[in-house]
Amino acid sequence: MAGDLTLHVDLDSAVPAYRQIVDGLRILLVNGKLAPGSELPSVRRMALDLGVHFNTVAEAYRTLADEGWLDLRHGRSAMVVYRDAPDPTLRQMDEFRHRLRVLIAEMMAKGAPAAALQVEMRNAAEELES
Amino acid sequence: MNVELVMLLFPLALVAVIFQFMPLLTRPGVFFSATVDPQFPRSADGRRLLRSYRGQAALWAVLAIGLALLWLPRRPQLAILSPVLLLVAGTGLSYWLKFREVHARYGQPRREIRQTDLAPQSIGANFTAWLWLPPFVALGVTAVYLQLHWNQLPERFPVHWGADGLPNRWSSRNPLSVYGPVLMGAGMNLFLLALGWLLSRLSRNTVMRRVTVRILEVLLYPLTFSFVMVALLPFGLVVPVWLVPTIMLLFVAGLIYWSYRQITVPASADAVPEPQSDSYWKAGMFYYNPNDPAIFVAKRVGIGYTMNFASKWTWVVLALTLALIVGSIALGRPK
Repeated sequence: MAGDLTLHVDLDSAVPAYRQIVDGLRILLVNGKLAPGSELPSVRRMALDLGVHFNTVAEAYRTLADEGWLDLRHGRSAMVVYRDAPDPTLRQMDEFRHRLRVLIAEMMAKGAPAAALQVEMRNAAEELES
Repeated sequence: MNVELVMLLFPLALVAVIFQFMPLLTRPGVFFSATVDPQFPRSADGRRLLRSYRGQAALWAVLAIGLALLWLPRRPQLAILSPVLLLVAGTGLSYWLKFREVHARYGQPRREIRQTDLAPQSIGANFTAWLWLPPFVALGVTAVYLQLHWNQLPERFPVHWGADGLPNRWSSRNPLSVYGPVLMGAGMNLFLLALGWLLSRLSRNTVMRRVTVRILEVLLYPLTFSFVMVALLPFGLVVPVWLVPTIMLLFVAGLIYWSYRQITVPASADAVPEPQSDSYWKAGMFYYNPNDPAIFVAKRVGIGYTMNFASKWTWVVLALTLALIVGSIALGRPK
């Protein structure tokens, strides 16, 4: 593991804590800060630190395990495993496109210019790929 | 002034002094247990509230000391308990009124942003071996010394002393009475370390946890010193009555000062500390959060931990503690 390995959760946010944990961990998994072989904190430890129910963390770990990022063997810490990047299906691509359009519309509605959005998106993609 | 009076008034005065400084023994952004702007305590309103609380706390202290002096010649038992209760309840009431005022008029909402470190953590990392190991070595060396000088021990020696400093209980030379203080010292030390271990497992990784575990480690020293002194008393070692309480007091004062520096200096404060919202703190003092799995939560004011009263385990622990106290009193009563 390298770099900043801190996960933040805003309990006052409208986004559920479960979603924030999944999203936060996925960013670290995609950009390689959580490399294969890394162990994640136990469900109990993470729930305690974040002040959320144990089931919230357990559910987040299960979601990431279903995506192929984690190995959850009984009696062992959640471990990051090597994962081949799958080819997204047409349906998944449609869904991503839709979510992206919603997000871009929201940003443009708040005044962000199209050129700035392009730069933001390219930077974010490069940051996650590096 | 007799010893009885000193032993009665000294703890009262000590508690009264601690109450005077209590509102300041807190992390930045908290004042009278309410969430405020970090600059507020230094503002004119902040200073006015502190002056008002201190005046009231001093008044409660004077009343408590007066009550103690009133009861002492007639009902010595009441002279110990009732002034302490009056001081704690009275100052607690003044503090609570100040909390309400600060919360209602100057309180600031904070977002509940929490964080967790994903790097591997070990509970052992909270402890410092070079700090907690020497007291056990000292007890071991004492035990060896006692063994080597067994024949120099008198057949009968004092094991308990009254408030007047004179022995009131004696024991004969046998392994239990000779090694008893060393064993008790080791037991007490292990108990403090076990508390630290439990805290490390059941609380968040904050500055308060590091401070509390360090306090528990450092407390082994005056405790070990006391038990070693008692173990060596049969050799005719003369220990002034004031020595052990003075050492304990100096240690505690030093620890409070060090903790104060650790907790209140913003640079060393937690990046994301314990729960921020005042809504979790009933009357500013009692933590109640059903969504938080933590049982031990760092206190908002003072050093150490309180419990999450929304957790059933808190009530189990409290019930067991109460049962232990009641059971000890019931068993200790003469039949």
